Amino acid sequence: MYRIRLHGRGGQGIKTASRILGTALFRSGFEVQDAPRYGAERRGAPIFAYVRADDKVICERGLIHQPNLVVVADETLFDLPAANVLEGLDGRAVLLINSERSAQDWCRQLQLPGQVTVLDGAAVVREAGRVPAGALCVGAAARLLGVVSRRALLQAVAEELAGHDAAAIQTSQQAVSQAYELFAGEAGLVQRLQSGAKKSVTTPPKWVELDCEALPRAAPTITMAATSALVKTGLWRTRRPRIDRALCSRCGLCRTLCPEGGIDLDGEGYPVIDYRYCKGCLLCAAQCPRRAIAVADERTVSPPQPKEGEP
Amino acid sequence: MTRILLTGNAAAAWGARLAAVDYVPAFPITPQTEIIETLAEWIDGGVLDSRLVTLESEHSMLTAAGAAAVTGVRVFSATSSQGLLYGMEMLYNLAGWRAPLVLVNVSRGLSAPITLEPDHNDVLAARDSGFLQLHCATCQEVLDNVLLAYRLAEDARVRLPVLVNLDGFYLSFTREPVAIPEPAAVADFLPPFSDCGLHFRGGQPSSQAVAVLGGGLYSYFRYQVHLAAEQAAAVYAEVAADFERRFGRSYPAVEAYRCKDAELVLVMIGSFATKAKAAIDGLCAAGQRVGLVRPRLLRPFPAAELRRLLGHRKGVAVIDQNLSPGRGGILHTELTAALYGLPQGGPLLVSFVGGLGGRDIAEEEFVQMVEVLRQAVQEGIAPPPRLLFTEEELQQVRRLQDIAHGRSEGKGEGEETS
Amino acid sequence: MSESGPSSHSHLAPGTPLCAGCGGLQALQQLYRVLGDKTVVVNAAGCMTLLSIYPFTPFAGSWLYTAMACAAAGAQGVRDALDIQLAKGRISSAEDLATVVLTGDGSAYGMGLSATSAALDRGLDFLYLCYDNEGYGNTGHQYSSATPRAAHTATSRVSGYAGSKKDLFAIWAAHRPSYVATAIAAEPQDLARKVKKAAALRGPRLLLVLAPCPTGWGFDPALTVKVGQLAVETGIWPLKEYVDGRAVHTKIPRQRTPLAEYLRLQGRFAHLFSPQPDEQRLAELQQAVEDYWQQVTE
Ligand SMILES: Cc1ncc(C[n+]2csc(CCOP(=O)(O)OP(=O)(O)O)c2C)c(N)n1
Ligand code: SF4
Ligand code: SF4
Ligand code: SF4
Ligand SMILES: [Mg+2]
Repeated sequence: MYRIRLHGRGGQGIKTASRILGTALFRSGFEVQDAPRYGAERRGAPIFAYVRADDKVICERGLIHQPNLVVVADETLFDLPAANVLEGLDGRAVLLINSERSAQDWCRQLQLPGQVTVLDGAAVVREAGRVPAGALCVGAAARLLGVVSRRALLQAVAEELAGHDAAAIQTSQQAVSQAYELFAGEAGLVQRLQSGAKKSVTTPPKWVELDCEALPRAAPTITMAATSALVKTGLWRTRRPRIDRALCSRCGLCRTLCPEGGIDLDGEGYPVIDYRYCKGCLLCAAQCPRRAIAVADERTVSPPQPKEGEP
Repeated sequence: MTRILLTGNAAAAWGARLAAVDYVPAFPITPQTEIIETLAEWIDGGVLDSRLVTLESEHSMLTAAGAAAVTGVRVFSATSSQGLLYGMEMLYNLAGWRAPLVLVNVSRGLSAPITLEPDHNDVLAARDSGFLQLHCATCQEVLDNVLLAYRLAEDARVRLPVLVNLDGFYLSFTREPVAIPEPAAVADFLPPFSDCGLHFRGGQPSSQAVAVLGGGLYSYFRYQVHLAAEQAAAVYAEVAADFERRFGRSYPAVEAYRCKDAELVLVMIGSFATKAKAAIDGLCAAGQRVGLVRPRLLRPFPAAELRRLLGHRKGVAVIDQNLSPGRGGILHTELTAALYGLPQGGPLLVSFVGGLGGRDIAEEEFVQMVEVLRQAVQEGIAPPPRLLFTEEELQQVRRLQDIAHGRSEGKGEGEETS
Repeated sequence: MSESGPSSHSHLAPGTPLCAGCGGLQALQQLYRVLGDKTVVVNAAGCMTLLSIYPFTPFAGSWLYTAMACAAAGAQGVRDALDIQLAKGRISSAEDLATVVLTGDGSAYGMGLSATSAALDRGLDFLYLCYDNEGYGNTGHQYSSATPRAAHTATSRVSGYAGSKKDLFAIWAAHRPSYVATAIAAEPQDLARKVKKAAALRGPRLLLVLAPCPTGWGFDPALTVKVGQLAVETGIWPLKEYVDGRAVHTKIPRQRTPLAEYLRLQGRFAHLFSPQPDEQRLAELQQAVEDYWQQVTE
């Protein structure tokens, strides 16, 4: 069986990507299961989807804990422990990262037992046009599996994007196909595991005797104020607004408009962005009357984002 | 303590009055309306220091009731039938909020077809909501159960909403002598409302009824509702004992009538149980060994008590005034589960469904049910569930159908208009 | 808590899971600064329900999630319970809270309208905040009765919504409440003035806030304010208030920007522009705006 997990952020087409891969595998004769997993989070927040494929009926369901391929459409997810990108990666699994950095770089940084390979999605997009990261990754992933033909893949793209205009479908097909080509040398890198090859001896669960507990703890109630501040939504951000104090007139508009309440004023009345929370919507930059807020790619700014996640 | 004639509805209102409820969100529905009208009159007349607000639906009524309870006041409300179902979404919510209020339901059959008279499908639809349930057989019990319900609901070990059920017409509009306890004695029995740390107050942050993500957390909170409901069984026993000590009336979770050496036992809830008692008296006088078991507490389900009372009998007839289409009687199902796997094998169970939409259950029917049970025990095989319906009733239906559709005998459908 | 974040307690704390650039959250931030933590926010099912996900809440005051239909009834219960306790001397006036309902348009214009109308009948002392993102956002942006004509939603994918946006302002005003106002976070001064005014009054009050929704409307989150400003400048979202029995416009866009400029920014109207501009429908939509203002200025 193939057990594939795709990680990305809301808005990167991860659900569509999982469906393209699912359909491509289905068209290639496999029994398939694909599903997205939604949380409460919205655009920009980490999400994932998964695909299973086998040559017989699939009985497993739900999350994949022992993948043989993990696809990461957004490299900033590694900084977010809650995204659990690396869960269950063992020596046999392949990790595909959408990144401009090299595979060696990532190997060194992540210190993983398995194989790491990299798709430079940005380069593909520069050539083929704007296509969601998820779709690009699927082009590469299909080739890594080695069991999906280009024809099946492109048909799957057309099927899953049905309803979009023809030009958009064509652009996607081009980009997906290009990603597929880039991995010709690594075709079949992902090992297919026997469906039965999962551990047959399991450790028994440690069930507990639950007590009837006292209120308010036993009710879905919170008696502390403002606990959401423990959630660092700054980790959603892919682009970063930066205030240039030299240009800023201290009008305070950005502070008023920030939906997150993530801008405060310092002692001199200059706005300060709290990057722990800024989701990178960039409306502050768009609205600043003095154009004092510049936008940088999150990956190019240093020091890197805080390595804290949700508790 | 005075004893006066009261309808079941008035008894419910008296319960609320003696409990000194702070707040009564209301919405009219027959046969419950009299309860809120009575309370409204007392409040307007200054007899009861409370506030009554009529909402625009039972859904809103229950929402306001729950919201007030988790803000920190003692709340009473009442509904029936369609109203209970209209508010169903909020029943589950209120249990999840751990809102300790008392809701009286006056049972009435569910539409369609719409009707006014009682059966228990409405209250049993609320069975899995997390509300505890107390079922009444007399008007006295209605009053007393409301008081017991508040003690139970507000107990820190329970802290769940409680539904007190009485049958429409047979109790709601029926007067019986009811002893009204002294307010001071009730105040002793029922301490002032305590909010167990769930309230809204300036200066104290509190987010209640918060969403959860993930099955683990969800399970924890729902399990807590379940564990609290289970724990309520022991608390109920304690509270009922205290009530008996103070007021002299005994309300075990399960009533056993003439069961001492009974071989055959009828099981029922609600007011028709007293009709069963009358029939049983007759049978016992004729030398039969028949008794009645009546769960008063239906949630938590008194399974252990029922096993104790029924496990060693020869035969048990469950009379369900409800119907789960495609399955049959709901109590029969529950009781079967409770009596399954007893070491001695347990009694033979026979299922009867009757009394839907206020249909009477006649004395001869009780006698016949006992007879069917006796034969089943002799043969060792339970007959298929019996839907109580007589030839005479069918004839009456036919007569009405003929009016509704034209006479059917001897005519093809197309000829009728000629 | 080890760190409390940047907000003082009369602010809404950061760290919520709402979309980046959410126009509804933007409005709520501005509103909460005025209303503060002496509030119980009673919520109906919608995007904002996700503000408080156990164990995280951005509120320093109180919050109660009810269900989709009945936030106004929840507010009734809370208000009454506080009043009862005040009257019976069980709490002090310092412990009192203002009752605020927070729902989306789906609830405010539809499922919750009956409960709201009844709360208005009873003269309930509460402030209703409706963030109007013109659809059932939380379930994936299907159309609601607040969806504007021609907008694509998840349930009007082919030729756009065939109905027209319901006039909730008028429905509220017909109940003769203490206050009704439309507003938008892109006009922060207007919004702040209205919320202060509303907060100072008693009885039923509504702030109906248009909430540009990057996710449901299909635009880049950086454009949330731009889209909001255009909603006002084109005249499709009139800023007005109803007080003392009269409706008054607080901003009259005399030189109105063509509506197409507002529509063009949003994916939900893309079918009006490509492959060819749908001149006829665009003209109809523009005409509806003209008709509205004609009747205002007459
Ligand atoms: C009785 C009921 N039906 C359906 C739902 C599912 N539901 C949850 S949120 C929502 C949409 C609410 O729309 P709106 O009020 O506009 O808020 P938004 O999601 O746009 O913030 C729906 C339909 C529900 N929670 N309850
Ligand atoms: S909007 Fe621009 S000028 Fe105004 S305070 Fe912010 S950064 Fe400074
Ligand atoms: S980009 Fe600007 S407006 Fe958006 S969250 Fe960050 S600081 Fe706030
Ligand atoms: S879907 Fe729209 S309204 Fe809902 S959180 Fe996202 S941006 Fe806000
Ligand atoms: Mg909405």
